[in-house]
Amino acid sequence: MNSVLTQLQPSAPHQNRLEEQDELDRTDAASWGSMAGFGNLDRTGGVQGMSIPRVSDPTSFLDMHTDNMSSNPDAKIKIAHGTTTLAFKFQGGVIVAVDSRATAGSYVASGTVKKVIEINKFLLGTMAGGAADCQYWETYLGMQCRLYELRNKERISVAAASKILSNIVYQYKGMGLSMGTMVCGWDKTGPCIFYVDSDGQRLKGDLFSVGSGSTFAYGVLDQGYRWDLTDEEAQELGRRSIIAAGHRDAYSGNTCNLYHVKENGWDFIGNYDVNELWYEYEGKKKAERESQNAAAAAGASPMAVEP
Amino acid sequence: MVSKAVETPNAGFDFSNYARNEFFGQRLQGIPKATSTGTTIVGVIFGGGDSGEEPGVCLGADTRATGGPIVADKNCEKIHYLTPQIRCCGAGTAADTEFVTNLISSNLELHALSQGRPARVVTAMTMLKQYLFRYQGHVGAHLVLGGVDVTGPQLFTVHAHGSTDKLPYVTMGSGSLAAMAVFESSFKENMKREEAIALVSRAIRSGIFNDLGSGSNVDVAVITKNGTENLRNYEMPNERGLKSRNYKFRRGTTAWTKESIRSLIVSEEIKSTSGAGKDQGGVEVVPVPTGAGAGGEEGMEIDS
Amino acid sequence: MENNGGSVVAMIGKDCVAIASDLRLGNQAVGIASNFDKVFPVNDKLYYGLPGLATDVYTLKEHLRFRVNMYRMKEEREITPKTFTHLVSSTLYEKRFGPFFIEPVVAGLPTPTELDPHPKPFISTMDTIGCVTTPKDFAVAGTAADKLYGVAEGLWEPDLEPEDLFETVSQTLLNAVDRDALSGWGAVVHIITHDKVITRTLRARMD
Repeated sequence: MNSVLTQLQPSAPHQNRLEEQDELDRTDAASWGSMAGFGNLDRTGGVQGMSIPRVSDPTSFLDMHTDNMSSNPDAKIKIAHGTTTLAFKFQGGVIVAVDSRATAGSYVASGTVKKVIEINKFLLGTMAGGAADCQYWETYLGMQCRLYELRNKERISVAAASKILSNIVYQYKGMGLSMGTMVCGWDKTGPCIFYVDSDGQRLKGDLFSVGSGSTFAYGVLDQGYRWDLTDEEAQELGRRSIIAAGHRDAYSGNTCNLYHVKENGWDFIGNYDVNELWYEYEGKKKAERESQNAAAAAGASPMAVEP
Repeated sequence: MVSKAVETPNAGFDFSNYARNEFFGQRLQGIPKATSTGTTIVGVIFGGGDSGEEPGVCLGADTRATGGPIVADKNCEKIHYLTPQIRCCGAGTAADTEFVTNLISSNLELHALSQGRPARVVTAMTMLKQYLFRYQGHVGAHLVLGGVDVTGPQLFTVHAHGSTDKLPYVTMGSGSLAAMAVFESSFKENMKREEAIALVSRAIRSGIFNDLGSGSNVDVAVITKNGTENLRNYEMPNERGLKSRNYKFRRGTTAWTKESIRSLIVSEEIKSTSGAGKDQGGVEVVPVPTGAGAGGEEGMEIDS
Repeated sequence: MENNGGSVVAMIGKDCVAIASDLRLGNQAVGIASNFDKVFPVNDKLYYGLPGLATDVYTLKEHLRFRVNMYRMKEEREITPKTFTHLVSSTLYEKRFGPFFIEPVVAGLPTPTELDPHPKPFISTMDTIGCVTTPKDFAVAGTAADKLYGVAEGLWEPDLEPEDLFETVSQTLLNAVDRDALSGWGAVVHIITHDKVITRTLRARMD
């Protein structure tokens, strides 16, 4: 990590370049009125415009002032953390389910966060880690995907889209970006999920869960997962997994957002209160136990009556 | 004998959790912060000279206690009793100021009893500084000590490490600068009693309004050889406005799943007193079930 | 504190006091149990809550049980809320340089005596090293203390009847705890009046 870092740290000439870049950005911003945060787009099409703190070691600078990577929990600036997100492929497409809690330290900052980012009609991205990092870069990814469509007269594949994202975050490796995301969609090859994180890792797979509650979600997911799940079964499995994680994990919960990606794009299935569903499941479990006990009692009694 | 075997036999501090907590401190996000009195405390000597008044000491304190950024107590008492003629204002770690003054107060009482005369303020000061020095500043008590004894009015400051000062006007705590600014501009020797009270409360108010660690009300204590006058909440410049409406919930708002009521009336007996000595028909004894509540299950044993 | 989570709140009403706690026992982010009661009785009209490190909850609870029983045997009377507060306080201060990670909350109705025929309802709270505060309105402690302060400051009012106090203390706890990741998972409320103690388990959010 440190060897990569030293390569990435801006040398003296590099800093001069940054200042020139800033100068250019300012004139640009003036002529456009507002660059809406994407002022770097027009010149390079790349992502060189993101300004970096002008200190000798930007990474440790960030570490000092934020609780990023949990290395400094006492820091004044608390970045939103803690999540459960999951996505899996099955016979009927892709199910994407996430919770909606955002925490800063132990404080529940919001219970109504949209952790599924709708990149376009066929692509969804999930949000775990730094909320701002995910939101910004996945929105940016949406712009790149649209440009791809305009240039190539066809929709971008999930593989290509996720690679754009992973290439971007790899450029910033070791500099404090924090995101664990699943890029989900449907392309020529059918349903597709890619896991991309801020380390630069990019994995294709059938089933992923990301975030502090992921272990709990995997528990439910693995025992209920089959390829030939019906649409309803698959949606219920996704929902049930998020409720389980929302229950056990302190940093997940509040509500569950459920999406289903099909051949013609994604559908938003619904928003469910984790608490209400939990009581509903508990009620069902209790009723089941009671009916089983009743059946056992009924089954046992004729034997006892036997003369 | 028995109690010595089971109870901790030696007095003083118990360090048994220290090593464990050091380990926790590394693993956890720090050790929880103790309540501290980010404080303004002051004292002045007044009277004597050509004022024509009894010489005395006037002490003052604000009433805010904090725990980190939270106001833990909006009206705490920071002027502690030592002896009838000696008081002590405390700043720093609240528990330490409380327990140190209590301990020294006890010892001063014993001292007075054994010597057959009231303890002097220097004695209190010496006992405090020797105790605090022994703990090398770890007992975080910063004190303003004032009183009247056979030698006249006395005023000291005692720092947590054990150093002391003897001055005609003193301030301590996080608001000491604000308060000292008032003293430096307005202190006079041989003030009248009312002048001293006004000056002290102005100094405390300066701390209350200019120092974030201090707040709420002004407490004043005036000590002369005739006795001590406690002016608790002498000024209340920060009274909360009344709510014009309320947030009372309709009964039944909160959903609950289980209830147990533990009745404290074990049995009720009603006896008619007319026709004494005769056998009374219709005497009713109504037993009420007990042991249903939380206390009934695994509470501490109650005499039956 | 943040290791196991948990919070306690106590409030004064008209001739009654309430003390309530959540039921969560966690290991950092992971919820372990939802039946971890942090409020214990001392006698009929005196309860106390111990939010903080779970191992210290049990140690301190047993330690106090011992010392209260010793008091009862020596004095041949029940301990008053005020005396109990000082007992807890000096127990905590004894460990000034290796404290228990506990912030106790005490709530009780003192029994009328000849000297004081109409004693006021009593609550108190302490920091980890035993600095006592005895508020006239409410006391809070635990991981949701900051949030409880805010809600209680807004909802509490003087002279609430037992049933109204139940609603106020319940809503205070429930709403504060919903904004704290480390507290929640159920709640219990005790309302102490002169002739009965009502204990209710609340239907709380379980996430």
